[in-house]
Amino acid sequence: MQAMEISRTALDVEWRSLELIAQNLANANAPAASSAEVYKPLQLVTATKGSFAEHLRRGASGMGPGDLLGVEAAAVRANETPPRLVHEPGNPNADAAGYVAYPAVDHAEQMTLMIKSARTYEANIVAMYTAREMYSKALEIGRRS
Amino acid sequence: MSIAPVAAIEAAATILNPAAAPSPTQPSTSVPFSQMVTNGIDGISSKILNADASVRAFTLDDSVPVHQVTFALEQARQSLELMMQMRARLVEAYQQLMNMQL
Repeated sequence: MQAMEISRTALDVEWRSLELIAQNLANANAPAASSAEVYKPLQLVTATKGSFAEHLRRGASGMGPGDLLGVEAAAVRANETPPRLVHEPGNPNADAAGYVAYPAVDHAEQMTLMIKSARTYEANIVAMYTAREMYSKALEIGRRS
Repeated sequence: MSIAPVAAIEAAATILNPAAAPSPTQPSTSVPFSQMVTNGIDGISSKILNADASVRAFTLDDSVPVHQVTFALEQARQSLELMMQMRARLVEAYQQLMNMQL
């Protein structure tokens, strides 16, 4: 059931992606005293599953894709966009000039990513159902009664 | 100058000389049928145990994503269905042999 296994890897990746988006949104309003220690939005880097050497070899020799292994979460990267500096002299986190650093979480971007993740997740579940239906149909080949 | 024409000639050679080409009807290894069935049932059993373990892990703490649990259950169910189909066909074949007029 290679097709279902491929879809499952995509489900894992989208699940992880949603976890990161949740973490970003949860920390969107967590202020810090300086830009250095403020929360940095996380983003998932995905990659086609398979070893790097294998990809390189196939790419160099012009061969098609090898075994279809799906996708994987390659890394989690912190977004280095500078934080929002808000002038709030009354805030306990304010620095000497009265500025508070808020994480550079773009709400619109996070919501878009969230919808994208949810839709990709759904699409992969539908692909999985289709694979299952094809499998069930194949089991009916040659069945009597 | 590319490699492709040479490959085409080699393919044609195997068509002209079928004895050299590996025959698909001849199994390379002689595994007894009962052994194949036993191996298959062992595989299905391990899938069911796997599903069982993931359900247990999910009930203990839900750090495991739900889809991994349902996927393991689904895989176990499909393997079981395949086994039941195999069984149905085996029984059918056996009955046909038993009903043979001698």
